[in-house]
Amino acid sequence: MIEVAHLHRRYGSVVAVDDLSFHLDKGEVVGFLGPNGAGKTTTMRILAGYLPATRAERVEVAGFDVMRQSIQVRGQIGYLPESVPLYREMRVQEMLEFHGRLHGMGRSELKSAVPAVLERVGVLDRRRQLVGHLSRGLKQRVGLAVALLPSPSVLILDEPTSGLDPLQRREVRNLIGELAREHTVLLSSHILAEIEMICPRVIILDRGRLLADGLQHDLVNVLHRERVWKLEAAVGDGEAAARLLGSLPGVRSVNAGAREGIFQPFELRSEVEIGEDVGALALTKGWAIRRLSEERPTLEELFSALVQGELAAPGRVEPGAVAEDEPASDSAGAGSPLISLGMGSIPMAPAAPVLPPGTPPPTGRTIYSLNPFDRGASRDLSKPVSSEPDGEQEAGQ
Amino acid sequence: MKGLITLYRRELASLFYAPMGWLLLVLALLGNGLVFWAFLAGAQGNVSLALASAMGRGWFFWLFLVFLPPLLCMRLLAEESRTGTLEYLLTAPISDGAVVLAKFLAATTFMVLLWLSVPVYGLILQANGVAPDWGAMTSGFLGTVLLSGLFVSLSMFASSLFQAPLLAAFFGILGSAVWLILPGLLDLVMAQLRNLLAAQIGDWSRAEAWLGNAIESMDVLKHFGQSFLPGVFDSAELVFFLTWTGFFLFLAIRSLESRRWRA
Repeated sequence: MIEVAHLHRRYGSVVAVDDLSFHLDKGEVVGFLGPNGAGKTTTMRILAGYLPATRAERVEVAGFDVMRQSIQVRGQIGYLPESVPLYREMRVQEMLEFHGRLHGMGRSELKSAVPAVLERVGVLDRRRQLVGHLSRGLKQRVGLAVALLPSPSVLILDEPTSGLDPLQRREVRNLIGELAREHTVLLSSHILAEIEMICPRVIILDRGRLLADGLQHDLVNVLHRERVWKLEAAVGDGEAAARLLGSLPGVRSVNAGAREGIFQPFELRSEVEIGEDVGALALTKGWAIRRLSEERPTLEELFSALVQGELAAPGRVEPGAVAEDEPASDSAGAGSPLISLGMGSIPMAPAAPVLPPGTPPPTGRTIYSLNPFDRGASRDLSKPVSSEPDGEQEAGQ
Repeated sequence: MKGLITLYRRELASLFYAPMGWLLLVLALLGNGLVFWAFLAGAQGNVSLALASAMGRGWFFWLFLVFLPPLLCMRLLAEESRTGTLEYLLTAPISDGAVVLAKFLAATTFMVLLWLSVPVYGLILQANGVAPDWGAMTSGFLGTVLLSGLFVSLSMFASSLFQAPLLAAFFGILGSAVWLILPGLLDLVMAQLRNLLAAQIGDWSRAEAWLGNAIESMDVLKHFGQSFLPGVFDSAELVFFLTWTGFFLFLAIRSLESRRWRA
């Protein structure tokens, strides 16, 4: 539904988006994550047809080329920018009717669609109110209604919950969750917990580059290869228990903490699932277990580690790329530096960014550019410009 | 086309939402009425002359043309850019050209409404038994519409260049004023240059004549005065006004497109 290959965007000498590639299938809900200036808004604006790419191999939405078929693309998307641009002097209903007419909706269609969409976002009772008199939260909802009105196949929502109070955020979050059933959604937010809840898949950007792209679960598995388990049990001899736990298959290390009453805490590091083995051992030895849990890093921890360079960027991670019980390979684990992340220790897995399936190899690619200042580029979109792999030595037309 | 009409209707309505629109309307009606009344007395009851004075023969008309379109157009693109609604428009399924054209048509329609009071005076006079020269009146009104379109397009271009509405209005007024006084300005500049460069360049009367002709062909006052005002409809004058209007609209569209690069 959305296909982006080798997208570049510069603002003068500042690189906003640097060789970004990703794709969204129909019905996917994807969270765009990144610190300020990561290139999220710029990418969204390019997809929405507001900004042109400086250079790109392919930018498509719903099968239409964003550069060459911008009007068709704009007809396919519902775009809600962060600033929620609405005409203050119009009433809510007028704003929606105006938007619907711009999208070619007829009078009878609007008559049924406008109240329905206002009802859906919970502002039907405000339809006669001036947009300029609405609170920030209500404006956000009206903005969502505007984006939803023409039933777009793709929704691009830039920080849809920014400036909202916690209650409003929850409502908007629930609404987006509902929308996910009918639309392909690309959503950006600074609030990682929100993305964690709404979006199964995340794309993490930093300084315009793709750091990670995959299902949250897969990303955690790829980046968090060593699994950390917390065990608190009433064991007689702590040292003996630690030795026994260390002898379990797959266990890399066992750290015994300070005894708390009759309970002895342990931290186990393993490459595989060991919960069952620990349980069986406890049963055999008659240990009373108070707690046995696996500590997994949150999306926020992964995000921080990736952006701060504490983890190697894995690029695109295909669904199921790493099985739950698949042990970490020697190349990924042995000899690699260990870094601290939350409760666990994670081996750095050397990985190069992987492009989406179907993306042509980076050598000898064809690039077009609308930027008149892009050296060697042509503004004639019917004639793509050939480019060298490094992107600097374009061959002229 | 449907998008253009939708946007045109919204833009026209938005001109009436803003207090500035009503202020300009009141000022124009007041000004036209005063000018008509003053010139009717001055022309010793010559109704046609008084009506023509309110539509091109008097200085008040040109003052209106210099100030009203920039004040009207300053918000059309500059204000939208400032408030962020331009991002909304430029991501709607409507071309940049249609956006500029819809706004231009709305502003020109508003200007036409401002000038409508003059024919209304004519109708009132007719009803009272004094018939004005309707031929001259129609031709003058058509010329006024074309002139308004030209100055609106120039102001739209100024509005497309800036994000601050006041700056857009200032440069719109400046551009309109300079164009109106262009022949006089040229004479002034030429006189200075003649003295300065005579020793260095020698005879440059041919270049001076060429420049003078070029500027003269751009003289809006002359084009309006020799054709529409006396009641003569000349298609060449129509082409003159439409060409320049089209030129400024083209510049406004390109400027709007360039905003995407500058954004």
